[in-house]
Amino acid sequence: MLIGIAFWVLAVVAVAAGVAVFVVDSMARATYALALSFIAVGVQILLLGQSYLGVITILMMVMEMAVMAVYMVMFMGMNPALMPMDMTHGKKTAIGASAGVFVLLAAGALLIPWPERRGVPPEDVTAALGLEIMGEKMLVMAVIGPVMVATIVAGVVLAAHRSRYDRFGDDLRRRPADDPQAGGVGR
Amino acid sequence: MPEAVVMTVPGYWAVLAAVLLGGLAVFAAALDAGLSDRAQGLGGGWGAPLAGTARLLRQRRRTTVAADAVLWRVGNAGMLMGALLMVAVVPLGWWALADLDVGVVWFNAVDVMVWALVWLAGWGANSTHSLVGGYRFLAHGLAYELPLMFALVAPAIAAGSLSVGDVVAAQEGLWFVVWMPVAFVVFLVGVTGFSVWGPSAPALGADIAGGVLSELSGVDRLVFLAGRYAFLAAGAAFSVPLFLGGGAGPVLPGWAWSLVKTAAVLGVLVWLRRKLPALRPDRFMEIGWVVMLPAALLQDLVVALIVVGKA
Amino acid sequence: MGLTDALARYALRATHVLVVEVPGEWRTRVGLEQQMLRRGWRPAWTPADADVLAVCGIPGPALAENVGQLWEQMPGPRVRADIGSLSHVSSALDDAATLLLDTPHHRADAQNRPERPQLPEPHGQSDDDGMDHGGHGHHGEHQSADHSDMGHGGHDGMDHGGHGGIDMAPEGIPLATGGQDRDGLEMDVLHLPWGPVLPFWPAGLVLRCALQGDVVVEAGASVIDDAHHHGPGEGHPAQAPWAAVRCDNAMALLALAGAEDVAVRARRARDALLDGNGDAARDAVTRLHRAVRRSRLLRWSLRGVLPLTASDLEDHGLPMSCLGDAHDRLVSLVERVRAQVHDRGPMNPSGTGAVVWDELPHLMTGLELATVRLAVASLDLDPLPGAREVARA
Repeated sequence: MLIGIAFWVLAVVAVAAGVAVFVVDSMARATYALALSFIAVGVQILLLGQSYLGVITILMMVMEMAVMAVYMVMFMGMNPALMPMDMTHGKKTAIGASAGVFVLLAAGALLIPWPERRGVPPEDVTAALGLEIMGEKMLVMAVIGPVMVATIVAGVVLAAHRSRYDRFGDDLRRRPADDPQAGGVGR
Repeated sequence: MPEAVVMTVPGYWAVLAAVLLGGLAVFAAALDAGLSDRAQGLGGGWGAPLAGTARLLRQRRRTTVAADAVLWRVGNAGMLMGALLMVAVVPLGWWALADLDVGVVWFNAVDVMVWALVWLAGWGANSTHSLVGGYRFLAHGLAYELPLMFALVAPAIAAGSLSVGDVVAAQEGLWFVVWMPVAFVVFLVGVTGFSVWGPSAPALGADIAGGVLSELSGVDRLVFLAGRYAFLAAGAAFSVPLFLGGGAGPVLPGWAWSLVKTAAVLGVLVWLRRKLPALRPDRFMEIGWVVMLPAALLQDLVVALIVVGKA
Repeated sequence: MGLTDALARYALRATHVLVVEVPGEWRTRVGLEQQMLRRGWRPAWTPADADVLAVCGIPGPALAENVGQLWEQMPGPRVRADIGSLSHVSSALDDAATLLLDTPHHRADAQNRPERPQLPEPHGQSDDDGMDHGGHGHHGEHQSADHSDMGHGGHDGMDHGGHGGIDMAPEGIPLATGGQDRDGLEMDVLHLPWGPVLPFWPAGLVLRCALQGDVVVEAGASVIDDAHHHGPGEGHPAQAPWAAVRCDNAMALLALAGAEDVAVRARRARDALLDGNGDAARDAVTRLHRAVRRSRLLRWSLRGVLPLTASDLEDHGLPMSCLGDAHDRLVSLVERVRAQVHDRGPMNPSGTGAVVWDELPHLMTGLELATVRLAVASLDLDPLPGAREVARA
């Protein structure tokens, strides 16, 4: 009963906050409406008994939205980011695409013959989930992690407009480095 | 591993948890005011937080031109809510409101909320200093959050569980602080970070006239400041089950030891505020990524090796 | 109404005061700070936090206008204390305390105020300089050129990069204009005035910065009511002990760096020097000196802030005491004070250390917002720029 009420309240909050993303007139409000929607979804996942996934969803999404707001405001330029503005564009395509996807997913949810549950959930779902995701593929995961980090670092290095020669001089001997903004370690 | 040592109590005990958190927050504020007055060469000062509360209750709220009032108020009031959510998983002695199987991650999720809250409080006022403060906090967050996450990983690896109760149980005999001092220190830096406290408070710095605080008055200021102290208290309280053996200790009962240890950690954090200069984000960013993050990772490696070696 | 009165009486112990120092009223401001400390009253950094607006000295017309704006921004209950001179500090604070307790008065005051805050009317160029705390934020440029170019097309569904319907000046705040930043990207320019009323800031100085992100791309300095300064009065810093003024400046730098305990030591050294008690002053200065020398974190924090070489000093006409970075300047400052109280330094070194404030814009350009305040404080500016005029005349 209580869980049923919580489910419906959260569902309404999630959908309403999702709608609010397109209705509100400021970037900050849109961003945090989306964050609220994600938090409601995260709590729904908690209700499903997947506490790790639920809490991690909340953690990741709040952090992501906090950073996203900064980027949105930064890239918008001409500072309408700070002004009331319409949060939608490309309306016809967007409405068509989203209506189509909704019909597809809703039809799938209603028409698929869902299987009956076989067996019971394991005692420690978090550990079971970890094994299910990672167990067989540990080696792949362990390799992919460093490769992804290396890709990010390489991307930043390639994109940076200053190289080590700008910092340390042509013979790389200049100390301390010539930086527009010195860091705290004194490299 | 011993039996689960933490017992879940019914929900109405949340009132007591809130009262205790409030008490610890008042203790921190009073200690800070007292130390401040002692440094100035005056006596007393301990009562200043209560008089300050009366002052802010009497003061009117205000708003600014084109403020985003909704987001502003959410950011201000959210700090207090967040601190309460955080203590939900902190055991007092052997009792906890909720012993989630992912308590450590819960703590982390709540401390990440502060990113949103402080930025919103800075953004909503539509004022330059306030906005600069909000952005500074995010810059600081980028520096402290990852090391903090990896510092939280260390006790979890050692206990083989993300549940706070299991972490406490795994410390029987030897507190984690003894063999993971680096993680403990990084954790405390993280606590000052998410409570915007002391050296980690450039978001409220004097150089930007109080930053996020600069446009707050009356009850808005009161709840923001209260939330900040409450977060500091909650962070100190969480260090006890994580690194300091929870309620373990001679003579006194478990709950008393939890409180004593929390008050001690809190006292140190409050005392340090006056001793350390502000860690400006432009300086601290490099410390976070070049010093603290590798140090925390090394600590995790050492802990993992010891755990594997023992098994 | 017993409870309301009791609350008011209790709240009085924690009163916060926004201090406005009219240039040349250094001694009055210091006296006020000492009195406040004794009552348990604390300085407010912004009008939002203030119960009392204390104006030290008689402000000129431009500053008076700023003070009016600050008054409007105070939440209330609010009390204004005009402190003409040092001898009036105590009585002015007593009056302020009495008025703070007068709840019916404040209720009436609240009812007579506008419900919503308003932007101050845009004036000519010079008067607008002194927007106090940037209280009403995104003060775009008061230029109309771009404005008329864009027209108000935004309302007619004109598509700005896919986003239509932009109100070009909501609540009277105009859009910012863009410019090339130091990496060659186009970025909005925000005009932010610092001063004349700011905590830990040279009295009366106004530094107008154009910011891109948090980098100062352009700056201009002026002194409020420049034409109105008259000769040194009794509150003039030139009349105060040289070492005490230096300690006050060191306190500002330390407070801005967030090193609270060391800042308190500087404050105590200042007060001891003003009391004229030789032994206590020597002791306090020694403690300050030791604390500054010992703090490695402080050195880490101030290292590399506005480094100046000997040739920079020559270019900008700065004294030798400004050599090095902010930490070097702080150490040199404290060491000169120590030498003087131990009778080893020059007895009347005034005039040798005065930094010319009109060099500030050149020095501040290119700095990051976080370091601007530290840089200004580290230069040990004379609190009264007018002193120079007097000295020259």
